Amino acid sequence: MEFTQIKFERSGGFANIRITAELNPRDLSGEQAIALKELLDELDFPKLPTKLTSGETIPDEFIYTITVEAEKWQHTIIADGAPKDAKIQELLELLNRLARKKMRNS
Amino acid sequence: MRPCFHPVECVIPEHMLESIATHGTSAQRQAALNNIRVVYQLRAERAMRASFKGLFDSAIPRAINNEKERVIYDAMRRDVLPGTVARREGDAPSSDPAVNEAYDGGGTTYDLFTKEFGRNSIDNRAMRLDASVHYRTGYDNAFWDGAQMVYGDGDEDLPADERLFNRFTIAIDIIGHELTHGVTQFEAKLVYSQQSGALNEHMSDVFGSLVKQYQLQQSASEADWIIGAGLLTGNVNGVGVRSMKTPGAAYDDPVLGKDPQPAHMRAYVNTVSDNGGVHINSGIPNHAFYLTALEMGGYAWKKAGQIWYTALRDKLSENSSFQQCADLTHQTAGELFGAGSLEQQAVQHGWAAVGLTVSESGGKPKPSGCLEATLRFIGAA
Ligand SMILES: [Zn+2]
Ligand SMILES: [Zn+2]
Repeated sequence: MEFTQIKFERSGGFANIRITAELNPRDLSGEQAIALKELLDELDFPKLPTKLTSGETIPDEFIYTITVEAEKWQHTIIADGAPKDAKIQELLELLNRLARKKMRNS
Repeated sequence: MRPCFHPVECVIPEHMLESIATHGTSAQRQAALNNIRVVYQLRAERAMRASFKGLFDSAIPRAINNEKERVIYDAMRRDVLPGTVARREGDAPSSDPAVNEAYDGGGTTYDLFTKEFGRNSIDNRAMRLDASVHYRTGYDNAFWDGAQMVYGDGDEDLPADERLFNRFTIAIDIIGHELTHGVTQFEAKLVYSQQSGALNEHMSDVFGSLVKQYQLQQSASEADWIIGAGLLTGNVNGVGVRSMKTPGAAYDDPVLGKDPQPAHMRAYVNTVSDNGGVHINSGIPNHAFYLTALEMGGYAWKKAGQIWYTALRDKLSENSSFQQCADLTHQTAGELFGAGSLEQQAVQHGWAAVGLTVSESGGKPKPSGCLEATLRFIGAA
């Protein structure tokens, strides 16, 4: 799934140190871009429900807000730190790593 | 089709679990209780807890003889809780520092609540203190999941020069903070969003810091009032994650940015992030508590801590606001130390300095959390 930009924010957690970045495909290595596009495909990202929280609020859990922008659409999801879906978990961890790297290098 | 994320709830109706837990054989009963515990962890919702209160109560592991009982587990870097037992109450220290920190910090937190506030563990009914260390890999967080404490190892998976966090058991106030989320869950049940959520965070920071001060036997003026001292690595320009003495000044780093906490109502942060800024606006009541404790002098847990604990236990409720917290701690100070006492004045001054004027009457007594919820349910409030 092609995208033009991904906006990522992780807030909350005990430390509440905000991790945030705007990722463009050109920021990523070929391998990372492929992995990300595959994940978005497998999740059918534009059709995911906006709220992917587990129903109750656990103190000090992370809150993630992810907006994927493409030529013809954009979609935002809000997830908490305990998604029960492994693919979502994979996406959150990948984006968090990429965002951290971008924060450090900018 | 949406996948089913919670098979236990879906396969076994709750009334069946309840029936098994009441009438089953001992093995069936144990299995049901284990399942209830899973449900409890997944759905620690107030409504759920209210309707199955007796059941949840029976699923909570409790200490024998009302004594301190800790069980520290090693999650072995996986996300399955609680993991393998690493140290039980009375066992010799482990070779693993995270296990010992969780054990010792849990013990000091228990002692503060028991000896100073007369509380019998987290639920006031001898709840066993369960904690898991080494949760997942690269997990830069700690949390209370409704039944136990969970600690990650920071970003140990990254090269040393990229790490921001050490292991989350490293600061005892983090342990006190997480256990206090448990106390709040059983008492005021402050909803984890906006002002009530910031008060929930505030209470955890207050008693987290008091656990550290109690361990070090420091007076209010000697304490550092830093939350998470030692948690950030040398790669970060900061002394901790929050400061109750100087909210907004805990860290200022070229990569991570600046500590976003305000110290006054005029700087209150409206945001959708962080459940409506629960870890941000807690700076305001945190600073009021610091100023109150400093004015009272001596050990902060003796007077200011006593007032805040009593308010958390008896006065605050699910949707309390900062103003109500100010009024109710002021009222509590009057009840514990006398109307117009120096202690009550200190509370008033503390809140005034962050922009909150306590009402002179001290606020009329509020119905407690449960009563209020019931009244709301039947349309009487
Ligand atoms: Zn917290
Ligand atoms: Zn389900």
